[in-house]
Amino acid sequence: MIDIKDLTKVYGRTTVLDIPELHIKKGESFGLVGNNGAGKTTMFRCILDLIRPNAGEVRSKDENVAKNEDWKIYTGSYLDDGFLIDFLTPDEYFRFVADVYGLSEGDIQNFYEDFEEFFNEEITGKKKLIRELSSGNRQKIGIAGALMPKPEILVLDEPFISLDPSTQIRLKNLLRKLKQEQEVTMLISSHDLNHVTEVCERIVVLQEGKIEHDIKTSENTLKELESYFAVDI
Amino acid sequence: MLKWFIVQQWKEATRSPMWQKNLILNIIIGFFLLLMILYLLALGLFINLILNEVYPEGEHVKIFNGFLLYYFFVDLLMRFLMQGLPKLSIESYLHLPIKKNRIVHYIVGKTMLGVFNFLPLLVLIPVAVKLVASQAGSAAGWSWMIALLALILANNFLATYLKRQLGSKPLVVAVYGLAIIALFVLDHFNLLLLSGLSSAFFGLFIEHPVYLVIPVLWMIVAYQLHFHFLKKRLYPEEIQVKKDRKLDRISDIRYLRSLGIIGSIIALEMKLYWRNKRTRTIIYMLPVFLLYGLFFYSNPEYKNATGFLIFVGIFMSGGMMLNYANYAFGYESGYFDALLTKSINFRKYIRVKYLIAVMISSICFVLTIPYVFLDSKYLFINFVTYLYNIGILSIILLYMATFNKRRMDLTRGAAFNYQGISGLNWLAMLPTFLMPVLIYWPFSANGLPNTGLMFIGILGLIGLVFNRSLVGLITKNFYAHKYKMADGFRQK
Repeated sequence: MIDIKDLTKVYGRTTVLDIPELHIKKGESFGLVGNNGAGKTTMFRCILDLIRPNAGEVRSKDENVAKNEDWKIYTGSYLDDGFLIDFLTPDEYFRFVADVYGLSEGDIQNFYEDFEEFFNEEITGKKKLIRELSSGNRQKIGIAGALMPKPEILVLDEPFISLDPSTQIRLKNLLRKLKQEQEVTMLISSHDLNHVTEVCERIVVLQEGKIEHDIKTSENTLKELESYFAVDI
Repeated sequence: MLKWFIVQQWKEATRSPMWQKNLILNIIIGFFLLLMILYLLALGLFINLILNEVYPEGEHVKIFNGFLLYYFFVDLLMRFLMQGLPKLSIESYLHLPIKKNRIVHYIVGKTMLGVFNFLPLLVLIPVAVKLVASQAGSAAGWSWMIALLALILANNFLATYLKRQLGSKPLVVAVYGLAIIALFVLDHFNLLLLSGLSSAFFGLFIEHPVYLVIPVLWMIVAYQLHFHFLKKRLYPEEIQVKKDRKLDRISDIRYLRSLGIIGSIIALEMKLYWRNKRTRTIIYMLPVFLLYGLFFYSNPEYKNATGFLIFVGIFMSGGMMLNYANYAFGYESGYFDALLTKSINFRKYIRVKYLIAVMISSICFVLTIPYVFLDSKYLFINFVTYLYNIGILSIILLYMATFNKRRMDLTRGAAFNYQGISGLNWLAMLPTFLMPVLIYWPFSANGLPNTGLMFIGILGLIGLVFNRSLVGLITKNFYAHKYKMADGFRQK
C-alpha cells in the first residue's frame, strides 16, 4: 500500500530522516515510536506530501504522492492543530470535510451515529468554535474528521495525547474495529508504548531518522521496547 | 518592580520574530512615521501662514480653538478603532507576590506612551508658542497647553476604557461617527455652532487659567474609571474584550450550499473574515477606502491631475481587494496543512479566490458610482481603474500571494498590525500600481488623456478574457511553492 524508497530529509547539516526502504501492506496497523526529534512527524509529513524530501520517494498504491494527488481521496490524516479550521464550530468543520469529499447527507448522518459514543456529547450541537475547545476535544474532532470519509489509509500523529482515559480506550477499540472490519491501513505514532503495542501489529522504532527496529508485535514487545528506550537513557 | 516590567516588555518587543525578521518592513514603517512627523511639524510651525492664507481675517486663536472640540471627538473615535489594548501578559505576574494595584497602574500608565498622544503635540506645542503665547502671554500659553494635554490623556484613558467596556460594537461606532458628521454639517450651515462653543471653551483657559481644574479633573476621572474597571477584572479570562457570543449563520446560506464545493469554499472564506478579529477590522475599514476619493474629488485643485486620480481610482475599488488577495493564502496559514491533504482541486480553489477578489472589487466600484454627481469624469476614471483592478491587479496579487510564507495571527486587530506581512510584498506591489499611470502618461502628454484612460480599461479587459489561463499560471506557481508556504505557515 505504501512504499518508501531511499527517503531522506536534511535540515541544515542534520539528516532528520533516512529510510532506505519501508513497505506497509494493505490492512497493516503500523506503529511508529521514537523519542522527540526522531523524525516521526517528518516521516508522516513526507507521506502526506507536506514537505519535499531531499531524495527518494513515497509511493501510495504505486503512485508517487508528490506527483499524483489521487491518494488524497483515500487517505485520512490528523497530525496536529493545523489540520483543524479553528474558527468553525465542530459541526461546520465536519460539514466542510463532507463537502470536500463529496459525502451525502446520509453519510453525514451515519458518521454522527458512529461517533456518538466517541464524542460523548461534548462536540456536536454546540455553538462553541473549535478554537475555544480544550485540546482533548480538539484532538477528538481532528481524529473524527480524518475518519469521516472512511479512508483506506489512516495517518495519526500522537492520537492518544491529551485524550481523557475513557476516550483513549474508546479510540483503541475504534481503531481495532476499523482494522478488523474495514481493513484500514493505519499509521500511528506515539510516545506511549502501552497504547501503540495494543493497537499495532507492527512497531518501527525510529532514532535520529533511521529505522532501529522493525518488529512484529507479540507478548514480549512491550518489554523489549521498554528495555530499548531505558538502555538508551 | 517597575524596572522589571519595562525590561521584560522591551525584550518581548525586540525578541518578537516580527521585529527581527522584518527589517525591510520596519524601515518602511519608520519612513512613513517620519514623513507623518514632518508633516505635522510643518503644520505646527507654519500655522500662522496657513491661517493667514485660509482666514485672512478673524482671530486665529479663536479659529484654531473652534476646531479643537471636533478634533477631540474624532480623536476618541480614531483611538477607539485603532488604538490597541495595552497588553501585559498578566498571567505570568498574577501568581507572584506583586500588589494588584501596581500591575494595574502599570497597565493603565503604559498607554500614555502611545503614538496617538505624541503626534498631536507636534502641532500643539508650536501653536501654543506661536499663536497663544505670543498673543496672550506665556502664562496663557502654558495654561492652554496643559489643558489640551490633560484632554488628550483623558481621551486616551477613556478610549481604552470604552473599548474594554463595549468591545468592538460596530453599531455604536457608526452612530457616533454619524453624529460627528451631523454636528459638522449643522455647523457648516450655521444651524448649530459647535465651533463657537469650542472656541469659547478653549478660550477659557487662555483668559482664566483657573479653569484648568476642569480638564485635569476630567483626566483623573478617566484614569480612575479605567483603573477600577481593570482592577475588578484582573483575571486573564475577564480582562479580554467582551465578545458577542452569538454565532452568525453564514453556513446556512442555502444558495452557497447549492454550489457544491465552490460554495463551501466561499462560505469558509466568509466565516474566516467574520469570525477573526484581524479580518473583521479590515471589513470595518471599507468606508475609509470608499470615502478616500472624497478628499481628492471634492477638491478642484486635483480636478485636472488625472494621473494622480488614477491612483485614487485604483485604491478605491482595489483597496479591499488588495487586502483579500495579497494574503489569500496567508490568512489560511492556520489550516494550510489541512487543505493540502484534502482532495481539493487547487485550480478550482484558486479560481474561486479570484472570483471573490473580483466580487469584492465590483462591490466597491458600485458603491463609488455616486461620485458621478461631482463630475462624470470621475465615473470614467473609476470604471477603467476598476477594469484594471479585476483584470490585472487581482491576478498579480494572487500570484504574489503564492510567494508569501508568513504565518498570520488572525486573533489580533488589523490596525497597526504588521505581523505576517512581508515588506518585500509591498515593494513588489509598487510596479502594479504604477503601471496604469505609465500607460496613461504618453497619451496625455500627446493631448489624448481619454484614450489613455481607455487603454487602462482595455488592458483590464484583456486580463479578464484570459483569466482562466492566468489562474492556471497562479496554480502552477502555487504547486511550485506549496512546500515552502506550508513550512513557513507552520512557524508560529
